[in-house]
Amino acid sequence: MVYSGAIFAIPAEEALATDEAETEVPVAEQVEESPAEEAVIDKAALRLAEKLKANEKCLRCHKRDKTKLLEDGKEMSLQVHKDEYLSSAHGEVSCVSCHSAIGKRKHPSKSTNITITSEREYTVDMNESCRKCHRQKYTQYKGSVHSALVAQGSTKAPLCSSCHNPHAPVSMVDYQAETGLPCKNCHENIFNAYSASVHGQARINGNTIRDSHIQSPICSDCHHSHEVTALAIGDVLRTTCIACHENVTLLHDQWLPNTGTHLDIVSCAVCHAPFAKRIFDIHLYDNTAGVPLAMQEGDLPIQQQLQAIAAEGGTGDPLEIWKARGGFSQDGAPADISLRSRMEVMSGVAAHQIAGKSFAVRTCESCHEPGWRKKQNVTVSVTQADGRKQSFEADREVLSTVKAVDSISDFYELGGNPNKLLDILLLLSLAVGIAVPIGHFTLGKMIKEYMARGEK
Amino acid sequence: MMSTNPSEQKQPDAWIKTKDSELYINPLPVRIWHWLNALGFVALILTGTHIRYANLFNLMSFETAIKTHNWVSFAVIANYFVWLGFYLFSDKITVYHPELNMRKFFDKAFKQMMYYGYGIFKGAKSPHKVLPYDKFNPMQSITYQIIMLLVVPIQFITGLMMWDVKRFEAPIAMMGGLQMVNTIHVLIYIFFVSFTLIHAYMGALGSTPATHFREMFTGYEEEH
Repeated sequence: MVYSGAIFAIPAEEALATDEAETEVPVAEQVEESPAEEAVIDKAALRLAEKLKANEKCLRCHKRDKTKLLEDGKEMSLQVHKDEYLSSAHGEVSCVSCHSAIGKRKHPSKSTNITITSEREYTVDMNESCRKCHRQKYTQYKGSVHSALVAQGSTKAPLCSSCHNPHAPVSMVDYQAETGLPCKNCHENIFNAYSASVHGQARINGNTIRDSHIQSPICSDCHHSHEVTALAIGDVLRTTCIACHENVTLLHDQWLPNTGTHLDIVSCAVCHAPFAKRIFDIHLYDNTAGVPLAMQEGDLPIQQQLQAIAAEGGTGDPLEIWKARGGFSQDGAPADISLRSRMEVMSGVAAHQIAGKSFAVRTCESCHEPGWRKKQNVTVSVTQADGRKQSFEADREVLSTVKAVDSISDFYELGGNPNKLLDILLLLSLAVGIAVPIGHFTLGKMIKEYMARGEK
Repeated sequence: MMSTNPSEQKQPDAWIKTKDSELYINPLPVRIWHWLNALGFVALILTGTHIRYANLFNLMSFETAIKTHNWVSFAVIANYFVWLGFYLFSDKITVYHPELNMRKFFDKAFKQMMYYGYGIFKGAKSPHKVLPYDKFNPMQSITYQIIMLLVVPIQFITGLMMWDVKRFEAPIAMMGGLQMVNTIHVLIYIFFVSFTLIHAYMGALGSTPATHFREMFTGYEEEH
């Protein structure tokens, strides 16, 4: 088995033609084979030869441009490009390993036709076959937002074969930022934003940033290739950025007061995508688990919860949801749920428009100015069961209310738009501070005048 | 405990300097603390207002306001310990001893209020005789006890928490979150806005408007 990888790496046709491949192993790596090991190698080679012989049978027909009429009236191609297939990593995998329903004597014919509703349905069914060999990747995929969407019945969410042609899989290194494939197939706008960003440009320019060779991230570096996650939830995005920009806290600490809090509350893109539209995003946070609260399977969509609250006479604002959600938890125990607020950029596209360091926002006044908060959009978001964030607009005043002191207890923005009750109290205090001296002075003058008149 | 009865007060000794008809009421550490504190409070109120209503007055940049507020805060905190150290390690602590007899306290406080509300205008003498070991009238006494031992420390603590939110994350959470800490800090700031104005005005209620100010610089007060 020591050499099985080396043998399988040889293009299938060469492996069939000759056993000389084994003699190409560098001298330094050659080891003495025991008779038992030689027998194992011989058996493996024999099994491979049998598989390829069987595949040859399939390819005799399927190398041609054949199609099948599906139930939905569309045609599905049955063609497998022989050369591409045999030279791919799957070249030594027998066809029936995946197409197990079509083994010997089970091949559909005109009399024993297999009905396929649609190509999508067939692909969803076939997706399971990848797990046989790629168990780890498949498990990662099952935990992804893509898989969750497929489970919800999405007809667009990608399956394994959407990114990896099963009959001509290519190596991971062939996924390049310049093309953006396969992600760009679905996320074109986001990829275009990425391409124009400091990250995309660096990659296009040979991964050179400030005369240094730095590996610039591509989609999968941040989002992962199989366990694809929605980075907009909580502070996942920040953790992702810091994974490469390790000294980010140190650099900000040199000029930014309360660096830790800023990095906690303000998403990186808010300052580093300077032209992106910003929002205050309030989300429900599970304090016990230490993660943003996720909707459970069977939960009413948050809009419906809002409508229900409004129907019961509630205001439908996020504080009401907090109250409604705060009363229970999955196991029936009182839930420790609070609202947290973060500054985010408006969209996924904006989150990818990262500019160079010199363009980043560095003036306090860009956020800390009177009435600034009033101009910002406020959204309320929840994590859906599939892991994606769902946001909807909320009243802009919601962060400035007295109730917010308790409900959004971890968020305070200096100079933004302080709550009005405190403003009134300040004016009152100022008025008292001015009126008491003036009043006392005037009273004294009046008494003195009165007494002076009395003396006369 | 020292008696608050003027007749039982310690007689001026070598430590308490006298100058003709004046008593040495405020020793140097108290005067230094008072005036540094006064400057600090004014600076903190101005920069605090600038921070809270950012750029409303366009006096300085937000960054300068934050930095000034932080530095002045630390100076005021350090200065507080000058005050605390002096009173803890000298027998002058008696000036802050509370009047525990409530009837006596309210009686004196009422007389003091009557004085400020009426007597002062017709040239009456203050019912409280200022002495080195009993310099505060009942109203000053209760006000300064609350301010120096409760309000000011709370302001320091909440300010310190907001100076480095991350470092003080746990105590902030214990107090109910950043918004709560900020609200407490702002409420005390609001109180100090009127307190500072009224305090300055009352400082001008001496025999001449400048009398008490001069006294707070020299340490000597007229016997009255």
